[in-house]
Amino acid sequence: MDFKLPDLGEGITEGEVLKWLVKEGDQIKEDQPIVEVMTDKVNVQVPSPRSGKVSRILVKEGDVAKVGQTILVIDDGSGGAPLATLVAPPEKAPAKGAAEVQQAPQSSVSSVLATPATRKLARELGVDITKVHGSGPQGRVTDDDIKSASRPALKAVAIQEPRLAGGVQKEEVVPLRGLRRTISDRMVKSLRTTAQVTHVDEADVTELVLLREALKGSAEKRGVRLTYLPFIIKALVPALKEFPYVNSSLDEQAGNIVLKKYYNIGVATDTEQGLVVPVVKDVDRKDIFELAGEITKLSEKARTGQLSLDDVRGATFTITNVGAIGGLFATPIINLPEVAILGLHKIAKRPVIHDGKIEVRDTTFLSLSFDHRVMDGAYAARFTSRLIETIQDTKKLLAEVL
Amino acid sequence: MLEADVAIIGGGPGGYVCGIRSAQLGLRTVVIEADKLGGECLNYGCIPSKSLITVSKLVDKVKEAESFGLKATGVSVDFVQLQKWKSEIVSKLVGGVEGLLRGYHATVVFGMATVVSKDRLEVATSQGKEEISFKKLVIATGTRTSALPGLEFDGDLVISSKEGLELMGAPNQLVIVGGGAIGLEFASMFQKLGSRVSIIEIMDQLLPGTDPEIVRVVQRKLEARGAKVHLKSKVIHIVKKGSEAEVEVETPGGRATITADKVLVSVGRKPRTENLNLAALGVRTDPRGYVITNERMETNVPGIFAIGDVRGPPLLAHKASKEGIVAAECIAGLPSAADWKVVPDAVFCDPEVASAGLSEAKAIEGGYKVKRSRFQFAALGRALSAGEPEGFVKVVANEDGGLVLGVQIVGPEASNLISEVALAIEMGATVEDIAMTIHPHPTLPEAIMEASESAAGHPVHQLRT
Repeated sequence: MDFKLPDLGEGITEGEVLKWLVKEGDQIKEDQPIVEVMTDKVNVQVPSPRSGKVSRILVKEGDVAKVGQTILVIDDGSGGAPLATLVAPPEKAPAKGAAEVQQAPQSSVSSVLATPATRKLARELGVDITKVHGSGPQGRVTDDDIKSASRPALKAVAIQEPRLAGGVQKEEVVPLRGLRRTISDRMVKSLRTTAQVTHVDEADVTELVLLREALKGSAEKRGVRLTYLPFIIKALVPALKEFPYVNSSLDEQAGNIVLKKYYNIGVATDTEQGLVVPVVKDVDRKDIFELAGEITKLSEKARTGQLSLDDVRGATFTITNVGAIGGLFATPIINLPEVAILGLHKIAKRPVIHDGKIEVRDTTFLSLSFDHRVMDGAYAARFTSRLIETIQDTKKLLAEVL
Repeated sequence: MLEADVAIIGGGPGGYVCGIRSAQLGLRTVVIEADKLGGECLNYGCIPSKSLITVSKLVDKVKEAESFGLKATGVSVDFVQLQKWKSEIVSKLVGGVEGLLRGYHATVVFGMATVVSKDRLEVATSQGKEEISFKKLVIATGTRTSALPGLEFDGDLVISSKEGLELMGAPNQLVIVGGGAIGLEFASMFQKLGSRVSIIEIMDQLLPGTDPEIVRVVQRKLEARGAKVHLKSKVIHIVKKGSEAEVEVETPGGRATITADKVLVSVGRKPRTENLNLAALGVRTDPRGYVITNERMETNVPGIFAIGDVRGPPLLAHKASKEGIVAAECIAGLPSAADWKVVPDAVFCDPEVASAGLSEAKAIEGGYKVKRSRFQFAALGRALSAGEPEGFVKVVANEDGGLVLGVQIVGPEASNLISEVALAIEMGATVEDIAMTIHPHPTLPEAIMEASESAAGHPVHQLRT
């Protein structure tokens, strides 16, 4: 039987084959994980639907497979030559399954709006024209589109590894794969398609430091480690409610801004493989201890690569916290399709003017990157001020956190 | 033993073109032909039929031309001279094919090929057996006429199109079984040469699959000249009585008997795959026996390719030729693929029918919101002044944006008009693009421009609908 890449979740149309967990000739059992696929959200291990023998693997590690594409052929004794043997091994350009071509003479390539010469150019440059975004009228794919789509591929081939006289490599070529590639694509897309501005402000968190100290004990009794993050998340809720455009997304096609009445906060988490963003859901309905517990659980899952699709979906606003590492402030990149991201930075003792006197107090910088298409600078500044007001005023904050 | 990089079985429009391209690309190429280079198309199909059709049209024109003021008496067709002229055209073209193959240093071997293994075949030539080893094999064996049970060809009374083109006179009563492209071409042709024609078609329309609006024009003209068209009908049996046959037909209106001195059966074709040992090689075929390939013309067996009719419908010479080029280029390691949007087709009945791209019905089926327009040749100066006012151009476009999805033409020179449309669709043109292109006046292609103007919402020579 042909094993097609299954539907991996809402909105996911393709995934990169990260790692085959089986090889040709292996006997496999039903439900045995056979392949690890990286989607634009998380890694997924896909189980086998049947027991049988792996007769052919049709997609190489590092290649992107579309949902519904045959990626593996399992000989399950169902008789007949496996259909996928019809996929003759392509020498250069990817070939379609013969059976598919026979049944549908209007192949997907021919449904792309592009001239015959452009289609030929795509084949020559090894570009899958069906994946190229056409910049011309009615989505027409032009020669330039093909050339720019081929550039990364050409570069990878063209890299000559410079060597020293002794044969020692001066450079090491690391293929852009998996999570790194996903991050790369998403960051560029975010910067290219939005109008990002970063607003930076300062907060006096002396009282927050004391409050956290005071609550640490009761958190421990509940078996959770209390960081500053749950406090900030709780302080965010009234600010997001008062400034709904910060908790929104832009539906460009429909020309609508979608204001969200639920508060799911993405927490950017550093892992060995790279950045992932698990989501803490409905933060407005949870107290800080619940939040702290969930954050601990999610970051553990992130570190061990166990996040499910549900864990990374549905954020309405994201926080990135680099305070533990250092630095003054940064300009975070918005996590699409959200319209704003909050950067939390190092809390340090600094000399400040407090009640007319120079005092040593705990302060931190907050950076808010926002999409200027959706809101203006004044709006973002007012939002940030409102957030800082809650953070600084522990009476207000206490009302929120518990 | 002859050693080849590429062995091509079949020297028809698919195989010989594949041979030329393959040799041009520096591959040691052998083309094996069991009969004549040029295949069915050059020898028994497209080319000879067009020669006869030309003459039939001329005769007909001369008769009709009295109303244009042309007086000619004693016009008759000399079939001996006509057949000679036809044969000369065919030999000239076949000779040209052989010259091209040899000129590019491809080897041509005449004889029936038998594939022995994945790298070897044998040819039974007139000088004995010749062995050929190959690295890549291209199957270009085409199709052959299928017979109907009870209506087996006898080469005299019950004939195929091949014999039909070699007749030395027009039959008095011609029964054509099968109202597809071949059947209609013969119907129009022999009607003009003096035959009384009956067409028996099992489906509910002539040219099944073609836009019914288009077919109506052709059927009307056939019937106006006295043809009897029996749709949803089939031949029950045939009784041969000397030089005549009584054909019993079941029609929706009951049984009928038609006397005929020729019964031409054109009910389709089937793949020619004997001697290829496809099963032993493991080459997959579909349930009808056509070889399955991908868009690079590769079968499931590495190193074995298939092109042309043997891959299945549409059975068209020009499609086979393009596929031959794709196969040769893929074998030479070039990134070639069959990724065209349209395979235009043309039927040389009267009036001619040609189409490229989606019909209105197919476009709707494909989920397009369709905008359609027509322009009648009766409103076009050149068609009237050529004495050919029948038919129209029909444009099918996407409502949103006006992308040309398909064009169907019934009318004068439809076969010559369709290429403009094929180019337009391949280039992704909109009806506005065609409408904005100046077409010389007075010419037939203006009808395509006028129909496109109409589809774009600004017709000139017809009233807005």
